[in-house]
Amino acid sequence: MEPKEFLDELKTLFVTRLKFEPRRVADVGFETALPKGVEGSVGLDSLDFIELGIAIEERFGIVIDESQDLAEHFASFGTLCRFIAERVKTP
Amino acid sequence: MTQIVVTGLGAVSPFGVGVKAYWDGVRSGTCAIRPVTLIEADGFRCRIAAEVPGPLPGSARRSRGDRMALGAAREALDDAGLGACERREMALIVGAVGGGMLEGEAWYWALKRGGRRLRAPQLSLRSILPWSHAEVIGSRLGLEGPRETIVTACSSGAASLAIAADLVADGVVPAALAGGADTLTRLCFMGFNALRLLDPDPCRPFDRDRRGMSIGEGAAFVVLEDAAHARARGARVYAELAGYGMTTDAFHVTSPHPAGEGMVRAMQAALARARVEPGAVGYANAHGTGTLQNDRIEAGALREVFGDGGLLVSSTKSMIGHTMAAAGSLEAVATVLALVHETVPPTAHLTTPDPEVAFDCVPGAAREVSLECAISNSFGFGGQNVTLLFRCP
Amino acid sequence: MRPRVFITGVGIVNAAFTGGAAALAAYLGAPRAVLGASPRFATPVAEVPAAALAAFFDETEARRLSPVCRLAVAAARLALEDAALVPGRELGLVIGTEFGDLRSTIEFANGYLGSGPTGLSALLFPNTVMNTMAAATTIAVAAKEMSLTLNAPLVAGELAVAQAALAIAGGRARAILAGGVDQLDPFLFEVLTELQAGADRRGEGATFLVLESEATALERGARVLGEIAGAAWRARPARPHGIGRAGASPAIAAALEAAGADAASVRWVYASASGDEARDVWEGRLLDEALAPHRPPRTSLAPLLGRHAGLGALAVAAGACTARSGLLSEAAESGPSLRTVERGRGLVHAVARGGTQVALVVDGPGELA
Repeated sequence: MEPKEFLDELKTLFVTRLKFEPRRVADVGFETALPKGVEGSVGLDSLDFIELGIAIEERFGIVIDESQDLAEHFASFGTLCRFIAERVKTP
Repeated sequence: MTQIVVTGLGAVSPFGVGVKAYWDGVRSGTCAIRPVTLIEADGFRCRIAAEVPGPLPGSARRSRGDRMALGAAREALDDAGLGACERREMALIVGAVGGGMLEGEAWYWALKRGGRRLRAPQLSLRSILPWSHAEVIGSRLGLEGPRETIVTACSSGAASLAIAADLVADGVVPAALAGGADTLTRLCFMGFNALRLLDPDPCRPFDRDRRGMSIGEGAAFVVLEDAAHARARGARVYAELAGYGMTTDAFHVTSPHPAGEGMVRAMQAALARARVEPGAVGYANAHGTGTLQNDRIEAGALREVFGDGGLLVSSTKSMIGHTMAAAGSLEAVATVLALVHETVPPTAHLTTPDPEVAFDCVPGAAREVSLECAISNSFGFGGQNVTLLFRCP
Repeated sequence: MRPRVFITGVGIVNAAFTGGAAALAAYLGAPRAVLGASPRFATPVAEVPAAALAAFFDETEARRLSPVCRLAVAAARLALEDAALVPGRELGLVIGTEFGDLRSTIEFANGYLGSGPTGLSALLFPNTVMNTMAAATTIAVAAKEMSLTLNAPLVAGELAVAQAALAIAGGRARAILAGGVDQLDPFLFEVLTELQAGADRRGEGATFLVLESEATALERGARVLGEIAGAAWRARPARPHGIGRAGASPAIAAALEAAGADAASVRWVYASASGDEARDVWEGRLLDEALAPHRPPRTSLAPLLGRHAGLGALAVAAGACTARSGLLSEAAESGPSLRTVERGRGLVHAVARGGTQVALVVDGPGELA
């Protein structure tokens, strides 16, 4: 999968699982931040991140190790796409 | 001001039926968390819970939750030695969350999976809502005073005692039966699994290597009574419910306020209402779920209120798991019995204390200690904080 | 001397209207029934139009609020605005509900039944606990004191107002948002039909009252809509889901006593009759006996707006209106109409199958005005 395809898949999850309005995620890019409180972010809180983790595991068939600090990977759409891509490649 | 005393105790716990079995289990630091049998647990990271061992008291025509609630309620009333006449005017306040959901789920699962309707839906659906416990207890035991079902998530059982105490203090009733009940349900088990809050092994509150909570089930009730009324009828007094605090974080649906602001206010309100100095409190029965977030924030809040002194802190959940709506009342019973027996029950599975927790968390074995006052903390989703403060009579 | 309990604001979202005290007064002056056929329900119901809530939430807030939580938050904001009360810490919340967030609970279960463990929604899980509306509301309006969710068949709204009134009269709270919320769901009707318990005329919506102690209200120069002069609740002997035998009503007696009133002073009654015939008859007998030999005019708003936990709180606000205006809305066979009654204090009453009975003695602003 190309990076752009990962981004599109994530956008779909934001709509289906995180209940975002489709137009709210239409114009996000790799640089768009995720966590609440960061400027220009989509404003995810702790519960959103758990939901997003479950959704990613289901969609991409990967397992996310929660004992790790995941904050850097869940910082933006770009870091998250890279995180998923690495794990999809090396099962 | 009216003095409120505890004159009856009842419990159905993962240690079995009765207060004696419960206290024996808790005092000895026994873990009752085992593989789940009541519901399917395949595919989940955690597959253990603290179930109440069979056989349950009462009719099989009632829901599991109603049977546990009725069993514990009956024991508390009998223990207090209250007759039919006195029962009639008592208040009944029940903390509940799951109600008869376990049976309701079985009905719904069968409908969705097999497209078949289970027979006798009356049995599986009639008692599905939280209020069912109160209706069953009230009608079976003849309680005709004010009746309420309180849902404050994981602090429901503790909130029920606080609200009952108000009704006695206001002179609405001379005595009240208050407590909580909850069974294991698919919704609860699946939900906490989804939130990644469950430890695959029995929970380890306040341990450095903790990985989350365990779920349990049970019921506990206490009789709260106007002290003058109790004295007049020669009742045995276990302890005084000297104060309580009930606050709301108004911060987040599932996460506590990071500074424990609401928890601190709940504990301070309990102290203020009881007119007790922090130093007089020797023991805190913690909410102590075993999640990193709860343990650290609760420990910080305890430190803010009680300082670094000699307060003993332990978690009943380390043995019976988090019994949801029953937790606040089961833990209130443990706190009262700690005062009665001057014995602080331990925290099980605590081998490597978290260096961030500044208290002696009574690892492994109970501690004999002289106590004047003790608190029980209960915190729930929605930032619902309750602290109960008990004092030796 | 126990603090008096004043009603200083009301916020309402239901099938007929959305607003505060003025909207309620307008509706009560020209009542209309909104129970109607719905494509989603087999029986006539009163549904809140989707557009009624749109103005209350921006996209960010709406994303995380379930529909029933939106009802509660919208009503709470309306009530605080109506009372001109700034949200904040010295505010408590007591909310009654019969069914909680049933729709989210079903959706959560369906996630698992459809896709197994990975189909479970972490976002929906907190909504499966009935305090979810209280959680959403306390966050939205920064209410940091006691927050209670009361679950009861039929009478949850009246019960919540009575419980809150007691907390203020007992000096334990200065200001409380008290009310109820419920939402209709087709699956709920399926279950009720299965249980052969579908006779009630049901609606949905939320109502909150702002209750304040006299001192708090006067201190900030609040407008007073009315007073809860006495409130009490008791259980009549009955089996779960069952109807009891008529007889004495200690709840009514206790509420009248707390108000320093007697049966003769009750000018009007808002009852909970909602189409469940056996229960309605029982309630009638209880009222007859409690108020005998007097028989003040009696009405119920359920045939107009549909029974839901919010309606219990709405009846209290309507009672304060009636005490002031001397007008009582009725649902006659020919349609809604108005009846003139003596102004002054009256009774808001409800009794549920299973026996929980709530009585509130409600007065207008009276001599304060």
